[in-house]
Amino acid sequence: MNDAHLPVERLSIILGEVKEVRVTQKGPRRTRLDVAADALPALLELLKGRAGFVHLSAISCVDWPDDAQFELVYHLWSYELNLLVSAHTRIDRDPGVYVSVYDIYHPAGFFERDIHEMYGVFFEGAPDMEKFILTEWDGPPPMRKEFDSEGWVNDHFDWQDYRPDWLLELEAQGGGVMIPPDEQRFSRRGIEDNDDAG
Amino acid sequence: MRAENYEARNHPPSNEFEINFGPNHPGIEGNYALKVKVHGDEIVAARADGGYLHRGFEKLMEQRLWIQNIALVPRICVPDPAPMEVAYSMAVEQLCGLEVPQRAQWLRVLLLELSRLAAHLFTFGGHAATTGMYTPMFWGVADRDLLLDLFEELTGGRVYSIYNIPGGVRRDIPDDFLTRLSDTLDYIDSRLPDYDNLLFTNQVFVRRARDAGPVSQAQALDWGVTGPNLRATGLAFDVRRDDPYLVYDELEFDIPTEQPGDAWARTLVRRGELLQSIRILRQVIDRLPDIGGPIRAPIPNPLAWNVPAGEAYVRIESSKGELSWYVVSDGGDKPYRVHIRGPSSMHAVQVLEHLVTGCRIEDVAQIMFSLDACPPEVDR
Amino acid sequence: MSAIDYKKSGSILNPLKNLSFFARPAITEPLEPRRASLRYRGFHLNDWEKCVGCSTCQKVCDNAAITMVKVPELAEDPLNGVRNLRPAIDYGRCCWCALCVDLCPTGSISLSREYVHTCTDDQLSSYFMLPDPNGMHKEFFGEGWNKTAENDLVDPQRQAMNEMAPDARIANFDEIVAGYDRQQAIIEASRCVQCGMCHDACPTHMDAPEYIRAIWQDDLEEAVRQIYNTNPFAHTCGRVCTHRCETACSVGKRGEPIAIRWLKRYAVDAFTPEQIQAIVGTGDTTPTGRQVAIVGSGPAGLTAAYDLARLGHAVTVFEGLDRPGGMPRYGIPEYRLPYDKLDADIAVIEAMGVEIRCNTWIGRDITLDQLHTDYDAVLLGLGLQLGRSTRIPGSDHGGVVKAVDVLRDVTAEIPETVPASAVVIGGGNVAMDAARTLARLQRQVHGAVRVTVSALEDFEHFLADPEEVTEAREEGVEILDSRGPKACIVEDGRLVGLTTLKVLSIFDEQQRFAPKYDDGDEQMHSGEMVVEAIGQMSDTALLGEALTERLAWQRGRLQTDDDGRTSEDWLWAAGDMVRGPDVVHAVADGHRAARSIHRALAEAKMEERAS
Repeated sequence: MNDAHLPVERLSIILGEVKEVRVTQKGPRRTRLDVAADALPALLELLKGRAGFVHLSAISCVDWPDDAQFELVYHLWSYELNLLVSAHTRIDRDPGVYVSVYDIYHPAGFFERDIHEMYGVFFEGAPDMEKFILTEWDGPPPMRKEFDSEGWVNDHFDWQDYRPDWLLELEAQGGGVMIPPDEQRFSRRGIEDNDDAG
Repeated sequence: MRAENYEARNHPPSNEFEINFGPNHPGIEGNYALKVKVHGDEIVAARADGGYLHRGFEKLMEQRLWIQNIALVPRICVPDPAPMEVAYSMAVEQLCGLEVPQRAQWLRVLLLELSRLAAHLFTFGGHAATTGMYTPMFWGVADRDLLLDLFEELTGGRVYSIYNIPGGVRRDIPDDFLTRLSDTLDYIDSRLPDYDNLLFTNQVFVRRARDAGPVSQAQALDWGVTGPNLRATGLAFDVRRDDPYLVYDELEFDIPTEQPGDAWARTLVRRGELLQSIRILRQVIDRLPDIGGPIRAPIPNPLAWNVPAGEAYVRIESSKGELSWYVVSDGGDKPYRVHIRGPSSMHAVQVLEHLVTGCRIEDVAQIMFSLDACPPEVDR
Repeated sequence: MSAIDYKKSGSILNPLKNLSFFARPAITEPLEPRRASLRYRGFHLNDWEKCVGCSTCQKVCDNAAITMVKVPELAEDPLNGVRNLRPAIDYGRCCWCALCVDLCPTGSISLSREYVHTCTDDQLSSYFMLPDPNGMHKEFFGEGWNKTAENDLVDPQRQAMNEMAPDARIANFDEIVAGYDRQQAIIEASRCVQCGMCHDACPTHMDAPEYIRAIWQDDLEEAVRQIYNTNPFAHTCGRVCTHRCETACSVGKRGEPIAIRWLKRYAVDAFTPEQIQAIVGTGDTTPTGRQVAIVGSGPAGLTAAYDLARLGHAVTVFEGLDRPGGMPRYGIPEYRLPYDKLDADIAVIEAMGVEIRCNTWIGRDITLDQLHTDYDAVLLGLGLQLGRSTRIPGSDHGGVVKAVDVLRDVTAEIPETVPASAVVIGGGNVAMDAARTLARLQRQVHGAVRVTVSALEDFEHFLADPEEVTEAREEGVEILDSRGPKACIVEDGRLVGLTTLKVLSIFDEQQRFAPKYDDGDEQMHSGEMVVEAIGQMSDTALLGEALTERLAWQRGRLQTDDDGRTSEDWLWAAGDMVRGPDVVHAVADGHRAARSIHRALAEAKMEERAS
């Protein structure tokens, strides 16, 4: 019975050695850690070296403009313990600079490059901060919350103007388009109003 | 520009050239480019170039209601769309604390394994074609079409199922579906000797694929290689068994592995997985009739659905490897952040660049295809 | 199939084994177009008979692919929630997810079993389609993905309302309906698809989609603000409104409509009158110097008073009885509308600066002429306070009373001997109110209920709301249908009951009211009291002979223009006396009259300045 808990216990012993880390058990194989930005690389080293977390599953970036912060989440998997650890840290949105963990985890190369491209976060020491997906894009980093991609599309593209016969006939009878599609977009509620206010 | 000026400026050795593989190229399932520098016919440097299939899914999903995204997610990987749907639905279910009915979980397994079968058939065909053998490709695509018929019958769509919805699935199986599924599996089973003859035991193919693009287990772990590509290096790891989801812990299946980690090993692992998927599907056919109950948990009106604030990290074994979805809700009616970790984002960039360096031009396409990378997963 | 050994290369001859293919039968497929699977998500089909133009499909569409198009040849019926809009699909945007099908409240949309549509560049407009039931290429390929119980995303069931059991409620006048709690209200509000059919059907066009959405978002202040946009009788309407909105509700087309009335009640019950007043503000309080007199403090009069006071006019309301509220107070039993809830509505209205003078009967304490002299405008909101009589033999006996009088006396708590048995003539809601009120009094005084209701209509065409009939029966009231009153039977000067005849028909060929009875089927219903609940009329004695002469009348009702102004330019009329009995119509009428009065006062001011 106790075997099921053993990996978690092994993890908690190791984490006991780290200062200033908040541990939240989110499921039988999911653990959330919150650490300060300057403590994260050392934590990753420890997890990789001592607990077998050799697999960096992903690095996720979340933009929290109201807090003026980016949240970086390092998802690590241990093939020995069969456990997933998500290490969360926050960095200031401005200037949006952090250290690369490429030396610890090579997959970080892809994720850091992606986050740089999409959020504008610069990773010091990363091998490659070149554009990859948005080669011809010179606008703001598009995944930042303040960039309204649908608004951008509406500004740059026209709706297709269809004139089918049935529509012309209805218009002749006094009917025709009453509610264009963009008027009812629930997902756009509040966004356009804010634009107007701004 | 006159030739001597060009040379004066760049000083390239006369036998070094740059070649673009892609963005239209049969070496990969979609638009993707690999820029290689060749010395003679040997690759001396390679640079992956993505973005041709970037549709901004992650951004789009932040701008759509939770339910609206179900139509978007399968499009993230065309050859193997089902894992995307299931992963997204599972993430939303975790955030909401929704209990998915048993029958829906079995139906999801059915869809996932059918999707894996279809994806692997496609990959065999593609890999064969990159070695100059087009008949297995036609066969793979034609036999996959029989699976698409099943998708159409079950989900209403041939490729984009849009069958999963947070809470469960949208429709139960139609009448006699399991019989037709069983017949199709029998047919595919019966086709395997043909594939073996033409592809898997064909010296022309085996000798081309063996030793092409080898990856050691240490390298694989170092680069974040997952899925069949990892198992081809001898590590028997499968998310379905080691981080189980849905009802995979109730199913019997083996995890095929090979040691050498080259293109041949990767393809052999996939061939083994094809057999395992058929085995799983036969178990589903046996068990499903006894699993009653609803196929979906009650969910709110899609137009008035706020998902509780929180985060979920969902992992699924897709045909390409470890697919992970990180979904964050701020308590609103749309996702606050969605991050998709497609397995191909590892395989198609750093790993591919590394593997093709040092190989010969004629092997580039087959190495690409043997990694089974899916560009839209990388571009998102 | 077995695994293949990595080291094994196979024979160079292996591929040749597949030459056996030439001996296998070829697979052939016919060339004609194939029908897709039974649940294929092809092109849209829309059953125009079922579709009500609610545009829910448009709201749930991922890709903004749906445009609502007006089809003039189709009928519009706001009272039943039908618009002549139909969805048109842009196949340049559609992604065939079929969410429109799953969320369609009526189940009119489905997708076809057709695979292909293509065209040349100059026919691009063919990508924009107005789906009908027949398919987009003049050929019906069959229905594919359609609405089933499995994929239906519309929740057909409303949140159950807790109500007092018959045993618990029969001996008192406590409110029967408990009201929603927070969780129930949020879930109920979440069922709404925001089509606005309710808004169109409501006589006063309440912003129901907005306040329902606000309730879902748990923003009750916003909900109250939206409610007070159009209705200052929110507590009252939240309880006794005839809820046309729910009749029109799109979700009600297949399931139970959103409980809009109960949601309104939930929102306003969350606040005290002082809080509500703070939320809605007092409007533009700059005094205009104009004075308006309103006769009658019912919903019409007080709604007009609320509007006019918020526009800066000095408003005085004259009420003949000792409490304000009109018919909601004196005509609606307390178990449906508790007095403190009506008081809450009135308190908010008074907080706008409206002065209400009770016990002031116009025509007796003050003449109408006096009001004409002292005020710039006069609005009559008299209501329908006089009961009509059947005029059958014996109906002049003291034991034969009018339902409105019974209800008013109970409200005023005038002590009265309670008859041990009673017969009510009539089949409308007032008859039910009278019967259920008497039943409660009987239970209190005599311990047993003996009330019989005799209605002209049969149960198929009954006038009272079905829930009223059900609840009355639960409380022990006997309800007889198709019975026409013949005579009130008096023995030794004592009323002993009512005889009725079987009704054969109610209307003649010209649809005029001319009931025919079967003389052979006579019944006697014993009762010490007979209550006539067959209709009400207005007491217009206050007008005086000369004015009555000058004003226009139609079938006994005072005639006004669309905005409630009579032929006398200083006199307006509103509410039941003009429109017939209904609270929410009276509220709507009050608004109309207030707008008209405000306009007239503004015009008068302009003229003064000009002269």
